[in-house]
Amino acid sequence: MNGKIEQIRDVVVSGKHKEIEGLVRTAIDENLDLDAIINDGLIGAMDIVGKKFGAGEIFVPEMLVAAATMKKGLELIKPLLKGEASQPKGTILMGTVKGDLHDIGKNIVIMMLEGAGFKVIDLGVDLSVEKVLAKVRELKPDVLGLSALLTTTMPEMKKVVDMVGEQGLKDTVKIMIGGAPVDSKFAEKIGADGYGKDAAGAVQLAKQLIGIN
Amino acid sequence: MKSTPYNLVMSALYKGKKGDRPPAANPTSIVCRDLMDAAGVSFPHAHTDANAMAELALAGHEIIGFDSVMPEYSVHQEAAALGCEVDWGAPDRMPDSKNFPHEDFSEIPIPDDLLEKPSMRVVLDALSTLRRHVGGKAAVIGKVMGPWTLAYHMAGTQNFLLQIGLGEYEMITRMLRQLMPVTIAFARAQFAAGADIVVLADHATGNLVGAYHYEELLLPIHKEITAEIEGPLILHVCGNCEDRLELFADAGFDGYHFEWQVDSRKAVERVGHRLALLGNINNAQTLFQGTPEDVRKQVRYAIEAGVDLIAPECAVPLATPLENLKAIIAAVHEGY
Repeated sequence: MNGKIEQIRDVVVSGKHKEIEGLVRTAIDENLDLDAIINDGLIGAMDIVGKKFGAGEIFVPEMLVAAATMKKGLELIKPLLKGEASQPKGTILMGTVKGDLHDIGKNIVIMMLEGAGFKVIDLGVDLSVEKVLAKVRELKPDVLGLSALLTTTMPEMKKVVDMVGEQGLKDTVKIMIGGAPVDSKFAEKIGADGYGKDAAGAVQLAKQLIGIN
Repeated sequence: MKSTPYNLVMSALYKGKKGDRPPAANPTSIVCRDLMDAAGVSFPHAHTDANAMAELALAGHEIIGFDSVMPEYSVHQEAAALGCEVDWGAPDRMPDSKNFPHEDFSEIPIPDDLLEKPSMRVVLDALSTLRRHVGGKAAVIGKVMGPWTLAYHMAGTQNFLLQIGLGEYEMITRMLRQLMPVTIAFARAQFAAGADIVVLADHATGNLVGAYHYEELLLPIHKEITAEIEGPLILHVCGNCEDRLELFADAGFDGYHFEWQVDSRKAVERVGHRLALLGNINNAQTLFQGTPEDVRKQVRYAIEAGVDLIAPECAVPLATPLENLKAIIAAVHEGY
């Protein structure tokens, strides 16, 4: 890996948010491959961050700073992308179900999905089934991601999945779920298409559901 | 010792004589839709009216059979008194804050009449009512939020955690120290109003922050709080906190209320000699989605592991079947 890209990766992993812009600018000026800066540098860094988080070496504060650092770098590169590279890999609608105002997990997943090249639309928190359904119809996403942190709001996920089925939208949108109280068993039980264990898992799952590598 | 609910709870908290059976306690809410229906009192009324609040707490003792009564079902009483706009929810929805009044980490003015704010007064009045009804029979448990949880409400959780990540420790510590007196004043007032025990909920959970964050930022403050409050204090931190059990004991709490994610055998082995352990019956899989037999198995496992007081791990989902909560009681009545 190019030394500069390695540096970019390390700066994101360690959350040195003040250094990222200068580094990415230099990399662009040196005509380094933009895809490599994104994939090996910025997104590669988030893979490492995700693993460290999974292993309990770092926690949400460090993850938030790393994600913000990645985003700063990404924003400098995005306008320069041309052709296929500038096209989103798919559209994902994300939201936290009704009665649940917890959104940190969802926000981290969104940052990772954006980093991975998806167009993500954040519907916010405390979403009614009706609102989710209306947005699915209007925006026609490839994937709908639902988040819940409270055990009290888990049943809301089932309501959304049921309604998507009843309205005949099941073939047009895949549903993935995540959040502390849910698991793959629960996803299967309510008829969702998949469960993401963590942010990195959600990105993998979204790719899989859309059918890209 | 007489094996009455009150005696069993208090003795178990200090690892005294064992009665005929372990106690079943509720450091956090055990209210579900079924219980509201059975008691004829429901949310949001039971968050804002002292009599409704006390009546619903009594139902946990009289209808389900818990050995304690605990009348605070939300985590927003102090937040409301400190300027958060709180939506008190509905029978099927827990309360939540709608804004973060100190996102900019500005000075938090503590009102002189803090304890007279309606959301604070209601808890104190409910505790006094419970004391009159079941004092000496069932243990009366109060609940306060610690400064860490209050800071989530004041600054917004993500914002608060981001500032930690950015290394703004001075700003974080300033906010925690501004909020500490709220926790201390409310806990003292709850004891004065009739609580036998107060639960201090402070969500520096392993799902969000590391043991190193707790040790550096919150442990010194917890030590000061436990030194300032004389009555029995139980710490509640949900999530997986396996990496910080000893730190919780160092903080000087009398008990720790923990989740199923921490294996009860390990918890007892590591800190069971330093504080009482309460918990750790799983909410999402067992109480909410499991059968009474699943509940029984977990309760017996926890008792055999040496957990002192059996309790759901955290506030139960509102759709929890009443029969699963009753299964906790049936299982503790089988004895040790």
